[in-house]
Amino acid sequence: MNEHTPIYTAPEEQVAWMGTDPIPAKAYYDPEWFELERRAIFMRTWLEVGHVCELPEPGTWIRRELEFAQASILIVRGKDGQIRAFYNACTHRGTQLVEEESGKGTNFLCPYHFWNFGDDGRLVAAPDFNRFALTKEDCKIPKVSVDTCAGLIFVNLDPAPKQTLREFLGDFADRLETLPVARATTFHEYCYDIDANWKITYDNFQENYHLRHVHGRTGIATVHADNLYGYPTGYTFHGKHRTQTIWSNPEPQIKPMQGYNFGLAAKIGMEQGIIGGPEDRTYFAVFPSLFIIGTPIQHFSHKVYPISATRSRGVFRVYWIGEGDTATKRYAREYALAGIRDIHTEDVNIINRAQKGLLSGAIKNVHFMSMEGLCRHLYQQVVAEVEAYRNESQPAGERA
Amino acid sequence: MSNQLPDGYAVLEPFVDYWAVSGTANRDQRRSDSTPAQRNAFYAIAKDLVPQALAQLDAKPIAELDDKERRLLDLLLSFTHVTHAVEMLTDGEARHAKFRKEMRITRQPAE
Repeated sequence: MNEHTPIYTAPEEQVAWMGTDPIPAKAYYDPEWFELERRAIFMRTWLEVGHVCELPEPGTWIRRELEFAQASILIVRGKDGQIRAFYNACTHRGTQLVEEESGKGTNFLCPYHFWNFGDDGRLVAAPDFNRFALTKEDCKIPKVSVDTCAGLIFVNLDPAPKQTLREFLGDFADRLETLPVARATTFHEYCYDIDANWKITYDNFQENYHLRHVHGRTGIATVHADNLYGYPTGYTFHGKHRTQTIWSNPEPQIKPMQGYNFGLAAKIGMEQGIIGGPEDRTYFAVFPSLFIIGTPIQHFSHKVYPISATRSRGVFRVYWIGEGDTATKRYAREYALAGIRDIHTEDVNIINRAQKGLLSGAIKNVHFMSMEGLCRHLYQQVVAEVEAYRNESQPAGERA
Repeated sequence: MSNQLPDGYAVLEPFVDYWAVSGTANRDQRRSDSTPAQRNAFYAIAKDLVPQALAQLDAKPIAELDDKERRLLDLLLSFTHVTHAVEMLTDGEARHAKFRKEMRITRQPAE
C-alpha cells in the first residue's frame, strides 16, 4: 500500500513566537478601549483613503469622511499636479465647503459667506475682508498630511506625523509598488456598514479557519483533502504589518463556466503583464486596517473604518488596468467582481453574529489558534500602540 | 418583442426584457429578484453561446456597438451574475441574496 504524502504543511512554526494566551474579549466591544485605540492609532497613523486614479488631472478632488475623527477631508490634485489634503471646513466659521463626493475645479467657495480658497487651502478672496482683524495668511485651511504608494492615497491626521509613509510601510512600500493596483486606472467599489468592532471585522479576513464553513459553496475551489481549510503556506511579520501567502490548490473543483471565465481573465492578465508577479499569492495586511491582495485577477483592497466600539464600515475596491473597452474584458471583469463580492457578502453576515455574541460580557476571552496567528498579531500591535500612547500621555515623572 | 439581438441569437430573445439591463448594480438586482427557474433557464440556453457572442462583439470597440449588439453585451454581463448563482450558490442563492443587498455597489466604472 502506498503511503500518502501530504501536499500541504501548515506553517505553524512561523506564528509560535506570539504565544497562545487568551485575548480579553473586552477589547472588541468596550467603548473606553475603543477611545484609546482611536487616539493612539487612527488619529496618528497613515490610513489609506483612495487611489490616484480618482484624481486623474489637475483640479480634480475627492472628499473623504473619517467618522472616527468627525473629519471631512478634501484631497486635491493641484494645478501643479501635486496631491494635497486639507479639512473640508471654511476657516471663517467652520462651514463645510463641499458636499459632493468628488469634483473638478481649482477653487473651493464656501456657500455661507463666499470665502474662496485655492487648491492648496489658502484663502484667495473673501467679501468685505478688511472688517476682520485677520490676514489671508491667517486663514489657510489646516492641512492633512498626504502621500501615495502603489497608487494608493494615504492620509495621516497627526499634525506632525512621526514617520513618513515610506518609513511606516517599510519594505511593504516597494512590494506594493509591484502590484497591479500601482497601475490601476479604474475600479469597482462595494461597501458595507456593520454592527461590529473594527478588529472583529478585520480579523475575519486574516484567517482561513472559517473558509470551509462560511464559504462552503463559493470557496469550494480552495478545499483539498490535505488542506481542508485552505490555510496559507506562510506568514511573515514586518513591524506592525503582516502577510500571508495564499495556498494554490493543485486539484481545484472548478465549475464549467467558472473555468471558462477565469481563463478569459487570465488571458487578459497575461496580455497586461500582471500574471506571474512576485507577489501574486501575497495577502498584505497593512496596519491598522487595510488589506490588499496580490492576486491579479480579483485584485482587491479592503479597508475597514472604525466608527464606534461596535460599529465599522468596510470598503472593497476591485482594481482594473485600462478601460473595459472590449466585450470580453468587460465580461471577465463583471464575472470576477460578482464572484469576489459573493464571498465577501458571506463574510459580513457571519461577522455580525460574532459581535452579537460578545456584547453581553459573558464571554471573557476569545481564543486564536495557530492558524489565526495574524489576528493575534493585530491584537498585540494594537495593545503596543495603546500602551505607547498611554505612556506618552502621562506626565514625564510617571511614565513606565 | 423579437429581433432585439443580432442575427443568430434568437434563442436568447426571451431573456432580453428581464436580463438585458445596464450597470453592475442593476444586474445584481435582477439576479436577486429572479426565481431559480428564470436563472436555470437562462444559464442552460446562454452558456454555449458565450464564446461565439464574445468573439462577435470583440470585433468592435464597445463604444461602436449598435443597439442590438449592446443589448447582447448587457445580456452576457447579466449572465456572469447568473453563473455564480447557478454554479456556485445553487440552493443557497435565496439566502445569499438577502445578505448581498447589504453589500452596496457604490462605484461601477462602465455601464
